Amino acid sequence: MSRFVINRLWQGVIVVLSVVVVVFILTRLIGDPVRVMLPLEATAEQRAAFEAQLGLDRPIFEQFLTYVRDVAVLDFGESLWQRRPVLEIIIERAPATLVLTFAAIALAVTLAVPLGVIAALRPEGIVDRIVVVISLLGLSIPQFWLGLLFIVLFSLTLGWLPTSGAGGLDHLVLPALTLALPAMTRLVMVVRSTMIDELNAQYVKVLRAKGMLPWRVIGVHALRNSAVPILTIAGWELIRIVSGYTVVVETVFAWPGLGLTAIQAIERQDLILLQAIVFVTAIMVVVLNLLLDIVYKAIDPRIEMSAK
Amino acid sequence: MRSQFISWCVAAIVAITPMAAWANDITIVIGSEPTTLDPHAADDGGEKAVNDNVFDTLMVRDTEGNLGLGIASAWPTQIDPNTWEFTIEPGITFHNGEPLNAEAVAFSVERMIDPELNSEQLSYFSTLSGAQAIDDLTVQITTSGPDPILPARMYYFMIVPPEASQSEDFAQAPIGSGPYRFVSWDRGNQIVLEADPDYRGGAPDITGVTYRFIEESGTRLSTLLAGEVDLVTNLLPEFMGQVPQAASMRSLEHPMVLLNHDGGITADTRVRQALNYAIDKEALASALFEGQAQVEAGQLLGPTYFGYNEDISAYPYDPDRARELLAEAGASDGQITLVSTSGRWLKDRELTEVIGGYWSAIGLDVDVQIYEFDEYLQRLFRSEDGQRSDAIFIVSGNELLDADRSFSAYLAPSGFGASNSIPQMEEWITAARTEIDLDQRQAIYEEVVEYAHEEALLTFLLNINNIWGMSERLSWEPRVDGKLFVSTMSVE
Repeated sequence: MSRFVINRLWQGVIVVLSVVVVVFILTRLIGDPVRVMLPLEATAEQRAAFEAQLGLDRPIFEQFLTYVRDVAVLDFGESLWQRRPVLEIIIERAPATLVLTFAAIALAVTLAVPLGVIAALRPEGIVDRIVVVISLLGLSIPQFWLGLLFIVLFSLTLGWLPTSGAGGLDHLVLPALTLALPAMTRLVMVVRSTMIDELNAQYVKVLRAKGMLPWRVIGVHALRNSAVPILTIAGWELIRIVSGYTVVVETVFAWPGLGLTAIQAIERQDLILLQAIVFVTAIMVVVLNLLLDIVYKAIDPRIEMSAK
Repeated sequence: MRSQFISWCVAAIVAITPMAAWANDITIVIGSEPTTLDPHAADDGGEKAVNDNVFDTLMVRDTEGNLGLGIASAWPTQIDPNTWEFTIEPGITFHNGEPLNAEAVAFSVERMIDPELNSEQLSYFSTLSGAQAIDDLTVQITTSGPDPILPARMYYFMIVPPEASQSEDFAQAPIGSGPYRFVSWDRGNQIVLEADPDYRGGAPDITGVTYRFIEESGTRLSTLLAGEVDLVTNLLPEFMGQVPQAASMRSLEHPMVLLNHDGGITADTRVRQALNYAIDKEALASALFEGQAQVEAGQLLGPTYFGYNEDISAYPYDPDRARELLAEAGASDGQITLVSTSGRWLKDRELTEVIGGYWSAIGLDVDVQIYEFDEYLQRLFRSEDGQRSDAIFIVSGNELLDADRSFSAYLAPSGFGASNSIPQMEEWITAARTEIDLDQRQAIYEEVVEYAHEEALLTFLLNINNIWGMSERLSWEPRVDGKLFVSTMSVE
């Protein structure tokens, strides 16, 4: 097991390094931050002075080396836009994104598993049909629109929840729901089909014949055997949320997390901040993948992680 | 039994009445969070929205834009070409007790121009070279050359406390002398200010204000509709009917098109004039902006800006005349390129496309090119080599309400966005920039305006409005400069 983990860690390091290089190149292709940040009327001297202050006038290779060296000691530099250490900004904003992400995935799983199981128990039944319809909606409605729709419905029309911003638990509900819905729909379909397969297996019939209570058969045995595919999809959804969907949802709900900060950094051509956010996201994805693989091995030691 | 009933009633009332109702606190939503609350460091609308209430300035403007006295006790005098003398009202203190005297003003000036600070606002204060306190209430500000605009610059310049501003926390927790004191900044979420009950002008009506930052305009609107906030900025004209109250006022923004005087199809004056006649500006104002815009009087200046020429008015809408002029110039079915960007200014893309439509209607083959902002800036900034585009759309903003700012940028050949190399323009604008005699200065600008109008150096369009959405209970007079002075607001 430990050799497996070390292997995975090495692969993770290589992934992160590649991301670092790609991000560095890409952020410098998106444009000139000095041009965009100063007021239009700033003179050429003022621009040059600003550029020198930010270290952007040095040759690109030197900038890259400085960057790699700094990242190694977790010095992400100073944000061009906010003029304070990027690490500070990330530490400030990351918790909000993490809270939102985990709330979303928890919501998705809590809704998807029972719904999927019920749908599997009575295929073609009412619950099954509803689940299919909601799944189609969840997959086709863009999250941006879904978020605004929720605001109109739950905040404006019903007045149950606040429209936006961070605050108490009530502020978390709508953004988490918006993030959870697409994930939930994909998860529900997987739970459903996996459970159907399991419930048709020999061992289930044997257990029922032996007189085991239905809820034990389903809840303990069949579900446990379905865990791997469900876990795979749930893991995928979590990674997708962390690395992308939070951007849209945080913007719509003015939720002060990393996703919103990434968009703001792009708009203001803040390369330094953007690089760091992408880097941090890459690390999160690598770590999540690693954890996922470890959990697989723990659940089912028979699973081989690589071809023999 | 009765007293219990009464206390129960009081408790119930306390529970159901929202806190804001008796404490006169309001919430304002702006589009972007300040990057810093240091009034000298950044060129940031969010920071100004907050700090306009925390700090004082030597000069102020009324809602129409007319210049007046702030904490200056009398109009400043120019004692020599490079020195202006200000006297200050006595007895003003900062919120931490430091006195606001000539020393503080001199310190503030030196701080703004300090290269260590690397202020993003230097382009507004580039002429300042220093300041000295002459006595407790008299300060002399020196400029690098004659600067008739200095009083106007001082309307934009905030005075900071010498001691407190040296601390590192100043940018997170500003201390000023204005009607409101800083309370807290919950990064990413909100900033809270409270009224200074001992404020020299009298305790303000609004006792506290919370600023929230929401970039997404749909979400911003929904906070107002849900009754969560009292004021939202940058409301789209289409939504004015939906909000409890809307206020609008002409702003400092002038959309226009820079026309290339030096080459291409626009080098001929008749073509440029045709491009002006071709556009129905009234229709733009009433249809595209839903009435929330004025037709510009052919000069890129608003009526209260210094340099405004009352005798010039807009090119009328006359597509027949436009076609005639094109024919005379031999450009009847010529090709013209119109460069623009999208999402930077209100309805920039829509305006560009409509202008392209009007020009097509008079027979031209219009190539509308809309770029991402940085790409667009590359084409906007004058480059030594390379082609200048025929027509470049831009929205000119004039924060100092003075002709120099926009003329230097777009009409003088040395300007960063100019599309001409007319020596006379350069002469006039350079002379006016340092002309101390105000009547002379006004006369020069009137000549510039007339020339630019006759020669149609630009396609003059509109002066658009700022629109705000307000809750039922809020009362407030909007300003031409769009500043939010909470001390002028009140709630029912």
